Amino acid sequence: MLPFPLTLTPGVPVSDQVVYAVTKAIVAGRLQAGDEFPSVRVLSQELRINPNTAQRIISTLVAQGLLEVHPGIGTRVGAIRAPSRAERQALLRNNVEALVVEAKRLHCDLDDLLDAVKSHWHALERPKARS
Amino acid sequence: MIVTERLTRRFGSIEAVRDLSLTVPDGSICGFIGANGAGKTTTLKLLMNLIAPTSGQATVLGVDSRKLGPAQFAQIGYVSENQELPDDLTTRQLLAYLRPFYPTWDDALADRLCRLLDLPLDRRLKALSRGMRMKAAVASSLAYRPRLLVMDEPFSGLDPVMRDDLVRGILELAGDGGWSAIISSHDLQEIERLIDFVAYLEDGRLAFAEPIATLQARFRQVDVIAAPGASLAALATPPPPAWLSYASTDRALRFIHSQYAGDDTERDLAARFPDAQIQTTPISLRDTFIAVARERRRPEEARA
Repeated sequence: MLPFPLTLTPGVPVSDQVVYAVTKAIVAGRLQAGDEFPSVRVLSQELRINPNTAQRIISTLVAQGLLEVHPGIGTRVGAIRAPSRAERQALLRNNVEALVVEAKRLHCDLDDLLDAVKSHWHALERPKARS
Repeated sequence: MIVTERLTRRFGSIEAVRDLSLTVPDGSICGFIGANGAGKTTTLKLLMNLIAPTSGQATVLGVDSRKLGPAQFAQIGYVSENQELPDDLTTRQLLAYLRPFYPTWDDALADRLCRLLDLPLDRRLKALSRGMRMKAAVASSLAYRPRLLVMDEPFSGLDPVMRDDLVRGILELAGDGGWSAIISSHDLQEIERLIDFVAYLEDGRLAFAEPIATLQARFRQVDVIAAPGASLAALATPPPPAWLSYASTDRALRFIHSQYAGDDTERDLAARFPDAQIQTTPISLRDTFIAVARERRRPEEARA
C-alpha cells in the first residue's frame, strides 16, 4: 500500500498527479521527514505505471527537496527546507494573482474567496509531531 | 529498439501499411492504437518477420526485420491474440519445453509470474479459458527477460481482474533497464497509465506518435456557456480545425481542443468568448481516441 492518498484521473499525466499527491501529503504532515518512501519498483507495481514514469516522479520530488535518496537505505521523506525569499515571493505574486483573476472572472466575493483559502489552509494543517 | 522507415505492405490491391516511419524510444512502453483494420497487426507481424514488407524497412534490436534470427528471437517476447499454443501440454510442460531455447531463462521469474498470474500449472492448455491461455502465453514470453516485448491485443476478451494481472506481469519485467515494449490494444483505460508513448495508426498510416504526456497536455474538452441573456451563435463559426467534435447551441458550445497550449489557449478562448463561462477539462486517452477517430472519419467537405 502506498503511504499517501491518491485517486488517479485519466487525461492528466500520472507523474504530475503523483507529485502533487505526495507534496500535499508532506505539507499536511501525513508524510513526515524520515518516513520511508516507496521504491521505483513498488510505485510502478502499485500504480500499474511504467517504471520510467515512477523514476521520473521520484527524481522530480528529489529535485524539489521533498525526498532524499540514501544509498543503501532507500528513499526517505526529506526535511522541508525553508524556501528562499524569491520562491515565496513568486508564489505570492504569480499564483495568488492568477487565483484573484480567476475569482473575479467568476464573480466570486472577496470574503468567499478568503473563506475558501482559509478552509483549505486549515484542512492541510500539519498535525503536532508524532510522539 | 524499433525503427521503421517508410514501411509498406500490400495485400493485392490493398495497402495495409503505408509509408510507416516510426521510432519507438528505447526504454518506453509504446501503446499502438487505431481502429480495427488500421494495420496494427500487420505492422507487428512485419516487425517480427512473420511477413515481409512490400517496400521500406524495419529495424528491430538493431537488425533488419527480414534478417531476424534465433539470436534476436531469444531476446524478443511476442504475444498475439490469435497465437497457436501446443494444446496438449500443460502450462508446466510448456515452460519446461521452452526453457532450453532461451539462454536468459529465469526460473525464479517464471515461478513468480505463475504465482502472480494465478496459473493452473497442471491443466492442459486446451482446457484453459481464453484469459488463462493468454496469461500462460505471457508468462512463457516474459520468463526469459526479453529485451523487447511485442504484444498484439493482449487484453481482448479478458475480464478486468485478468487484465490487471497481465499489467502486473508486464511490470514485473519492466523494472529491468534497457527494456522496451509495444502493445496494440483497444483497452485504452487499461493502457493509459502503463504506456509512456503512443503511436496512432489510421488506414495504415501513422497519424501521430508522441509521448503520452504531450498528448495529454494538448487535448482538453472545452465548454463555453454564454452569459445570461447573451448568445454564442455568431461567435464561433467556422470552428478552427484544431477543434474536434464541435457541437453548439446558441447558449453553449463544447468541443475537444487538440492543440491546447495552457495560458495561451486560455487567453485565446477568453478573447473569443468575452463574458462567457469557459471551462477546460483534461480528457482520457479513450475520449481522445474517439474524438480523433470521429474527426478523421468525417468527409472532407464537412470539415471545411
